[in-house]
Amino acid sequence: MTHTALLQMNRIKKRFDKPPVLQDTEIELYAGECVLLCGDNGAGKTTLLRILAGLERPDTAQVINNTGSRSWRQSRKALLGLSVYLHQTAYMFDGSVSDNLAHALPRPLQRWQDSQRQIKRALDWAGLGAIAKAPARSLSGGERQRVALARAWLSQARLLLLDEPTTSMDHPSKQRTLELLHALKTEGHTLLITSHEPVHFLALSDRRLDLRNGRIQTVIPDLHPQAAPDLPLNVTPLRRKLSC
Amino acid sequence: MENLIDATHQAIVLLLSGNSELWSIIGISFRVSLSAILIATIPALLTAFALSHWQFPGRRLLITLFSTFLSIPAVVVGLTLYILLSRQGVLGDWKLLFTQTAMVMGQIALCFPILVAMGHTALQSAERSAWETARTLGAGSFRALYLVMREVRFGLLAALLAAFGRIIAEVGSSMMLGGNILNYTRNIPTAIALETSKGEFSQGIALGLVLLIMAFSLNAMLHQLQGRGRPVS
Repeated sequence: MTHTALLQMNRIKKRFDKPPVLQDTEIELYAGECVLLCGDNGAGKTTLLRILAGLERPDTAQVINNTGSRSWRQSRKALLGLSVYLHQTAYMFDGSVSDNLAHALPRPLQRWQDSQRQIKRALDWAGLGAIAKAPARSLSGGERQRVALARAWLSQARLLLLDEPTTSMDHPSKQRTLELLHALKTEGHTLLITSHEPVHFLALSDRRLDLRNGRIQTVIPDLHPQAAPDLPLNVTPLRRKLSC
Repeated sequence: MENLIDATHQAIVLLLSGNSELWSIIGISFRVSLSAILIATIPALLTAFALSHWQFPGRRLLITLFSTFLSIPAVVVGLTLYILLSRQGVLGDWKLLFTQTAMVMGQIALCFPILVAMGHTALQSAERSAWETARTLGAGSFRALYLVMREVRFGLLAALLAAFGRIIAEVGSSMMLGGNILNYTRNIPTAIALETSKGEFSQGIALGLVLLIMAFSLNAMLHQLQGRGRPVS
């Protein structure tokens, strides 16, 4: 079985202050896999995700693709097109849940009926139909995260970069979020997830990366689904995609 | 007191009778001020966005300068442009002194810092994640900019109204650059100043009433829009 690298970035350096947050590290993500990125507070997980998303300018970084190596700056547009970055607290635009989903529809503007049909599908997919007309800013943290995931699903991005997607959620909200993440993975999206609570994502993940001292230092391939107490009932057993 | 009541009564009669001189003054006032605000708004808001979202050398100095220009007297703007546009001035060849174009230039100089400073404050209140969410969902720079501005539209609208209020009522710059020529550069504030100096209060009050009604209407509109868009807490 061959695996296609969806994104490979080398020589990633970023310094906000001393010491540097990221120092000459590299990451490789494969199509359809789910990678868990762990590390202490301030280790640089969010910074790395934002660099991969094309939102944070690194001091240096090289993006490797079929045609060779290009700088982050040259690749920024491609990175923005490839991925969707989900903030720890999902930002909701002013308007209803449906309005927020409409922002994720591919441009140029489609026919109104087509847009509405796609929004309806996204609402059904995320189980948001009952609150479609609710003001998005009145939603709970779990509902906001589901709207954010539905937006990512609608945008058809191949890579989803999720920053602490289940932080401050109650148990049912975490379960629903995990179910949606699993659905995204099943549909072939690549997921890179940072979390302080890796135990919740063990069943979902194919690999675990540790970010320490500015570098991705260890790759832990052996993840045991038995260790995940919050495993959703409909989540299928761990599917190993890579041999690390 | 009786004089004031009489003058106000005459002012209302003047307004309602469709006095051509009076309505010409009102027309010139709105034409000049609307032109200035239309020209200034987009570059000023783009400047405000750059100041609120990007780091670049001199950014803090620019913010301080625009804040300082908020309180610059209109006559100082008028004087500066007068020197530049007068026959011996750097821009003397343009022959713009005592024209509506010169008045528009003066009013742009007055409203630009207000739009930048207030726009900057409004845009700073927008969360950085609004811009990033728009970009990561596939919006190009201009669409993301539009979405962020839409998020703080009430703050930007307030900036627009404050800027318009400042220039439609300013007298110093318009008097120096326009020359108060009847049916050409005489606008509401310069006409009020002239009529008052002649002791003709009724026309001054009539024009003052127009300004008051306009200010009330614009503010009522803003409050109505803010009421509709109040975020859910």
